[in-house]
Amino acid sequence: MSVAARTLIALMLVAPLALAQDARLSARLDKPTLIAVNAIVDSARVAKLPTAPLVDKALEGAAKGSDGQNIIVAVRQLSMQMGSAKRVLGSSATPDEIKAAATALAAGVSERDLARLRSASGKRPMTMPLAVLTDLIVRDVPIATATSLVVQLARSGVKDPELALFQRNVRADIDRGADPSVAATTRARGLVLRSSGSGNKPTE
Amino acid sequence: MRDETEQHIEQIARELRAPVSIGRELDARVMRAVRRLPRHARFGLWSRLITPRTVTVTPLVWGMLAAAVAAFAVLGAMHAGADLDRAAKPIARAFFPRPQTPAQSQRVQFVLVAPDAKKVAVVGDFNGWDASHAAYQAQHRGGGVWSVTAPVPLGHHRYSFVVDDSLWVADPTAPRVTDYDYGMPNSAIVVQEQK
Amino acid sequence: MEAGSSDAVVVARVLRGDVEAFRSLVEQYRDRYARYAFHMLGNREDAEEALQDAFVRAYRSLARCEDPERFGAWLFRILVNRCRTLGARRGRRARTFVVDEVALLGAAEEHPAATTAWREEIDRALQQLRGDQREAFLLKYVEEMGYDEMSQLTGVGVSALKMRVMRACERLRELLSEVYDA
Repeated sequence: MSVAARTLIALMLVAPLALAQDARLSARLDKPTLIAVNAIVDSARVAKLPTAPLVDKALEGAAKGSDGQNIIVAVRQLSMQMGSAKRVLGSSATPDEIKAAATALAAGVSERDLARLRSASGKRPMTMPLAVLTDLIVRDVPIATATSLVVQLARSGVKDPELALFQRNVRADIDRGADPSVAATTRARGLVLRSSGSGNKPTE
Repeated sequence: MRDETEQHIEQIARELRAPVSIGRELDARVMRAVRRLPRHARFGLWSRLITPRTVTVTPLVWGMLAAAVAAFAVLGAMHAGADLDRAAKPIARAFFPRPQTPAQSQRVQFVLVAPDAKKVAVVGDFNGWDASHAAYQAQHRGGGVWSVTAPVPLGHHRYSFVVDDSLWVADPTAPRVTDYDYGMPNSAIVVQEQK
Repeated sequence: MEAGSSDAVVVARVLRGDVEAFRSLVEQYRDRYARYAFHMLGNREDAEEALQDAFVRAYRSLARCEDPERFGAWLFRILVNRCRTLGARRGRRARTFVVDEVALLGAAEEHPAATTAWREEIDRALQQLRGDQREAFLLKYVEEMGYDEMSQLTGVGVSALKMRVMRACERLRELLSEVYDA
């Protein structure tokens, strides 16, 4: 099969998908908003950023009854955050990692700290650590503390299910009135001790 | 003389009118204090959604809840009664249904305790935030427990519950994401391949 | 579905049990009212304590807020009361001013050193006023309220308030006369 034919078939497969997305957007957004959002999506595509999150962001805004201007701002912001995320995480970052990193940036994590987390994670995917980091910050653990803890956990090779459990435990502690910083630090310490398999002494 | 005095006073006042900023740590302290207080419950619905209560469960519901806990242990974003936290993998194998969906998706169970709700839907970036999407309508299982098991593609997603088509409720126990964009809360879920 | 959030909307959410929604009220009024608390109490720590107290009390008695559209005014009244209580408790404790503190408040860019010194003078003089006079002065000249509003807020009669403001101005004039007559 010629290259041209293959390209054509590829386009035919992709096009309906793109049109489907457009259909959802054009059904939910007014004309000026739709034009602006499509422009942002196109720029993102050119920059090789994931475009689905941008469409989703617009759909989310429509579902929540937000006005067009607000939607455009939100979509643009997400696009910028994903751009930063991709820059910091590198071209090997998966769309999920970029999404999760953008969310973390939105919560106030700095690009420098994002880079720290990337070094600490090595080859392991960053999606879960980023989600947990975001959650800690939203629950009022100071950004510096939260970042430091998650970097430590990543460096100790803590696995995703353990991270999930860590998040649940911290959440439960906070709901019962604990200081978020203390709760997160305490639980993290326990996790690092267990992970590094440090001896029998449960010293904290 | 009087004018001069007034002028001086105005100068003083102008100085004092300069903004004073207090750090955002105050917000955190206030919220911490406020979370410990009894929740307001004017119309009851919201508070009943997230105040922990003892839920009477039938055997069917027990199975669903156990599966929920097990699913969480694997996928990391579920909630069920606090006492069921210790249930884990053995129950998962017993109750968690075999995925029927294509390899790129995982069947995820979403559970919300909402005794006064008439309708609960899951919305997220995996279904275009569409509260009327058929596959993501929760069923009432009894005792105020609503659940739905639906396909979610692998990866990082944002989602929320919508109660009675009007009230947005983040999954109280799932990881949170910031909601500055639209002012209404979201949760995050990271779906991974079951190994 | 609430796209915007006027105070009434947020208050309604909180009353329905959405604790986290209260945060947006804190964010909105925190800085706006910090100024009054700071000048009334004379230092940042006490101001933060008064603010925090006020917010928590406001949350606790939120159901009694009669006009949620005017949540801000209702909150301010609570703050004024907290400042009175805290002020009385602190009593005669020397109000110390650290230069840094004043600088932190964002002195004007043009002549930072001069403005800082001037600010210090004003702050010192302000703290030497009697509590009720300081309160009246701040409400009238810094928060720029009318006397009727002030009367509603403080529960003090208009003529008494006018007297306090006048006395405050006289005293400040005295205390700062060196600066003026120089």
